[in-house]
Amino acid sequence: MMHGAAAQTPGGAATAGAAPAGVGDARRAWQNWTMNCQGCHRVDGTGSAGTAPGLAGTVAKFVRVSGGREYLGRVPGVATSPLSNADLAEVVNWMLWRFDKEHLPSTFQPFTAAEIGQLRTQPLRLEASQMRNDLLRKADESGPP
Amino acid sequence: MAQFDHLAEKVLRGFASRTSRRSLFSVLGGFLAGAAALPLLPVARAAEGGGRSDGESNSGIEAPQFSGNPQDPGDRTKCDYWRYCAIDGSLCSCYGGSVITCPPDTEMSPITWIGTCRNPADERNYIISYNDCCGGVAWGRCACQNNRGDRPLVRPQTNNEITWCFGTKSQSYTCTVAIILGTAIEQK
Repeated sequence: MMHGAAAQTPGGAATAGAAPAGVGDARRAWQNWTMNCQGCHRVDGTGSAGTAPGLAGTVAKFVRVSGGREYLGRVPGVATSPLSNADLAEVVNWMLWRFDKEHLPSTFQPFTAAEIGQLRTQPLRLEASQMRNDLLRKADESGPP
Repeated sequence: MAQFDHLAEKVLRGFASRTSRRSLFSVLGGFLAGAAALPLLPVARAAEGGGRSDGESNSGIEAPQFSGNPQDPGDRTKCDYWRYCAIDGSLCSCYGGSVITCPPDTEMSPITWIGTCRNPADERNYIISYNDCCGGVAWGRCACQNNRGDRPLVRPQTNNEITWCFGTKSQSYTCTVAIILGTAIEQK
C-alpha cells in the first residue's frame, strides 16, 4: 500500500490554524526539521538518551530564562546544521511551537536569521549538557509561565 | 581380513543376483536427474545469488514483492526499488520483513537516517525514513548501497553508513526498512 503523504505528514498539523510566530512556511519548516533533526530527536520530539535531548514539553522553557535563548542558538545540533540562517531560525521557531507551545511566553520574540547567524558562530561543545541542566533548573524554579 | 573379504563378496553377489543392470542404471539415472534439478530449488539459487549492491537485480533470491499500486511501482526485494535510493544496508524484504516492517524477533530503531527519493510514478520527491532493524542475525543477504544525499562521517546525522541501532535493546544490525514520511517540497 502506498502511504499517503497527507496521512503521514506531521507538517499538516503545523499548517492548520495560525502559523507560529517567525515561521513563514510551516511545511518548509516541517521538512527541514524532518530532514535535519527528526532522525535523532524522533518524530515526537522525545529525543534519544545520550545523543539528542528531548524537546517535547521542555524546549520552550529555555526562552523564559536568561541565557536560554543563546543556548538554543549555540547548541551543537543547531549551530552546526547545514541549513541557512533563515531556514534555521524558522525551524527553531517552528520547533518551539510544535513541541512545547505550553511553555512559550506570550511575549516571545521569534528568532531571526541575523540572530541565529550570530549565535551559531559560537557553538557549544561538551559544556552544552551542563548548561542545559542549569537552565532547565532555573526555568523550573521560576515557576509556570 | 580374509573373513571381511569373504563377507563383502557374499553381500555383493547377493545384491547382484537380486538386481539387474537395467535397474542399477535406472537408480543411477534418478540420482543424476535429481542432482541436475537441485539448482532449481530456492535455497540453491539463494546460495548462488549472494549479496549484491548498487541497484543490481535481486531476482532469484527472494520472491518478488509488489505493492499492487501503480503509484508505488517496483519490486521491494530489489535494490533498484525507488524507495531505496539512499539506503545503505540490507533489505528487510529479504529477511522475512517488508519494506516497512522489521523481520520477526528484531526491533526497529527509533533513531533514523532520513533521505529523499524520487517516485518514478509521479516524478515527485518523497521523504524516506530508513529505520534499521536490530537484534536479529545479519546474513549479509540483499545488500544494497545507494547513497543519494549521503554526507561524510564528519556529519554523522547525515551519514548513512552508521548503524542506527540506538535506542534498541540490541545494537546488532540486521536490515533496513524504508518508510515514507511525506512528500517533499521542491527546494529552490
